[in-house]
Amino acid sequence: MQQDQLLDLYRDMWLIRAFEQALEREFEQGGVPGMLHTGLGQEATQAALASQLEATDCFFPDHRCHGINALAQERHKGDGERIMAELFGKSTGVCSGKGGSLHSADPSVGNYGDNAVEGSYMATVLGVALAAKMRGEAKVACAIIGDGTVGRGEFHESLNMAAIWDLPVLYACVNNGYAIATPVGEGHASADIVDLARGYGFPCEQVDGNDIVAAHEAVGKAISHIRAGKGPYFLEFKTWRWQGIFAGEFRPEAEVKYWREDHDPILLANDALEAMGVSQAQRSAIESEQVGRIEEWITFAKESPNPELAKATADVYVGWEVASS
Amino acid sequence: MSTSTTKRTSFTKALNDALDQGMDRFDEMFLIGEDIGEMGGDFGVTRKLWAKYGAERVRDTPLSEAAIIGTCVGASMVGMRPVAEIMFADFLGECYDQIVNNAAKLHYMFDGQFKAPLVIRTACGGGFGGGPHHSQSVEGWFLNVPGIVIVAPSNPEDAKGLLLASIESDDPVLFLEHKALYRARGEVPTGYYTTPLGSAAIAREGTDITVVATMRMVPMALSAAEALDADGISVEVVDLRTIRPYDAETVLASVAKTGRAVVANEAPKIGGLGAELSARIHEECFSELQAPVGRVDGLDSPIPFSVPLEHEILPDEADITAAIRTTMEASR
Repeated sequence: MQQDQLLDLYRDMWLIRAFEQALEREFEQGGVPGMLHTGLGQEATQAALASQLEATDCFFPDHRCHGINALAQERHKGDGERIMAELFGKSTGVCSGKGGSLHSADPSVGNYGDNAVEGSYMATVLGVALAAKMRGEAKVACAIIGDGTVGRGEFHESLNMAAIWDLPVLYACVNNGYAIATPVGEGHASADIVDLARGYGFPCEQVDGNDIVAAHEAVGKAISHIRAGKGPYFLEFKTWRWQGIFAGEFRPEAEVKYWREDHDPILLANDALEAMGVSQAQRSAIESEQVGRIEEWITFAKESPNPELAKATADVYVGWEVASS
Repeated sequence: MSTSTTKRTSFTKALNDALDQGMDRFDEMFLIGEDIGEMGGDFGVTRKLWAKYGAERVRDTPLSEAAIIGTCVGASMVGMRPVAEIMFADFLGECYDQIVNNAAKLHYMFDGQFKAPLVIRTACGGGFGGGPHHSQSVEGWFLNVPGIVIVAPSNPEDAKGLLLASIESDDPVLFLEHKALYRARGEVPTGYYTTPLGSAAIAREGTDITVVATMRMVPMALSAAEALDADGISVEVVDLRTIRPYDAETVLASVAKTGRAVVANEAPKIGGLGAELSARIHEECFSELQAPVGRVDGLDSPIPFSVPLEHEILPDEADITAAIRTTMEASR
C-alpha cells in the first residue's frame, strides 16, 4: 500500500476512535440518550469498507456502526457531524433524531440503515441486490454483520438465496469474538465463521480485521468480484471489541492485553507508517486534528435543537396522516 | 372506474387479472413466492403469469419467508413494487420481523428517506378443515402495528380493485385473501381500476342496525340481513374492506344513523378488530347507541382439525343473526 493511502486510512481510523471515545465520555455524563455500542477496536474493518463503498452502493451497518456511518457521510457529503447529532436525538441528525444509534440512515451516501434486530437486514439486503441485478446496475449491496448475527435463521436464508440467484451481495462479518458475553466458539458450530459460510459455494475469506492493509485489500478484491457480476462474496474480519458488557470487563486479562496493546489496529498502522518514514510529529498531528474535529461535532450536536414535536407522528404512512394528539 | 365492461369472474381470477394488469402497467413490479411460477401458486392466483412475464419477474423461492419479505423490503427501498405471496397467513410468523420492524417502520424511523411500496398477499381464514396452522385469521397480529396497511376484500370486484390500489400504494400492504372466498363469483370490470384503500363500503343499506363485517363475514351478514327483513329488522351492512387504517367515518356515520351495531370478524375475540371497533363505536357514538355493541368473533381458541370442532370455533351466519336479535332486544 502506498504511504498516502495508508495515511488516509490512518486518518479515518482516528476519526472513528476519537468519535467513539468522545461519545463514551458524553454518554457517561448523561448527554446521550438510550444505549451505547461503540466500535472501538474495530476501526480498521470500518475504514476498509467505508473507503471503498461508493455512494451509489448500499451498506446496512452493523451494531457498532457510528464510525462507518460517519466516514460515509464525510467521504460523500462532508457532513459526518450529522451522525453525531443523530446519536444525541437532534433535529440536525441524518434521521432528524428519530433513528438514533441503531437506525441512522442516509441513502445518498449509500447508508441504508442499521437495524436493532440483529440479522434482520440479512434478508433486506437481498432485495436491494436483486433490484440492482434486475436493472443491470453495478451496485454492491453490503450487509455488515456481527458474529452473533450468524445465529439467526436469516443468515442461512440470505446466503442461500444470494447464492442461487447470484446476487451482488458483500457479506462483511465483523467477528469480534463475543455476542454480548457469549464467546463465538460457544455460540456457533465454528469459531471461524467462514467455515459456516463456505457451504453456499461462493468465495469466502477470513482476514485479520485489525490489519488495515490486509482488510483494505480483501474488501477491494471482494468488491471487484461483485462488480464484475460474479455474485456474492463473504468476508470474515477477525477483530475484538474494546467495550465490555454492562457489568464491565469480563474477558481474560491476557486476551485484553493482546488486543488492546499488541494488536490494536491504530497502533499497527502507526508502526507501518513509522516503517515507511512518516514522522511521529505527522502521526500525532493526524490524531490531534481528528480529536479536535470530533469535539466540534460534539458541540454541534449538543447545540442543535430537538426535533419539532410534530415529527413524533410524521411519516407513519406515506398515504395517511396520523393524528398528533 | 375506467371501464364499464364487466364479466362474471371468480375471486381468484379477479386477483389474477389484477396481478396481470399491474405487471403490464408497472415495469418495477415483480411477483415473488413459493411455487408461484410455473405452478401458479397454491391457490392458482398467479396462474399463467410466469409464462407471460418470465421467471425474473415471477420469481419462485425456497421455503424462506423471512428472505421473501426481506427481498420485498429491500427492493421496495430502491423503488421496486414487489408483490409477495405467503402461501398461508399462518406462515407470517416466519417473516413477522421483516413486516413489523422493517416494512412498517422504515419510512418513519429513517425520517421519510425510504418508502416500502410492497404488497404481501396471503391466504387466511378457516372453514375447510385446514387445521391449526392453515386456518388462522391474522389481522389481530398486525392491527397494533402503525405503518402497515391491512386490506381485506369480501368479493371479486373489490378484490381486483383493492389489489391494484395496494400495488399503487406507497405504503406496505398486507393483503388478506380469505380461502373460503376464492371460489366466490361476481361481476368484475375487465379493465384496469382501483378501489380506494382506507374506504369502507355500504354493502347494504338499512335503518335499524349496522353490521360492520370483514371478508367472509360480509356475505354471511348480507344473507342474515335478507332473512331478517321478513321479521321487520332493517340491517345495514358495512364492509370494512381496509382494516388498517380503517374508515371510521363511514362506520360511525352508519351507527349514528341506525343507533345499533354488531361487529363481525372471524379472528379470536380478545384484542382484535372486533374489540377495536366496539371500543371506538362506544367512545364516539355513546349518545346515539340504543344498546351495547354486539360482537361476533371466533372463540378464544386455536383452530382444530376436526370439522365439527372447527365449526364450533368459527362464527357463522347463525351467530350474526343471533347477535343482531340480541342487540335489537337489548335496546333501551
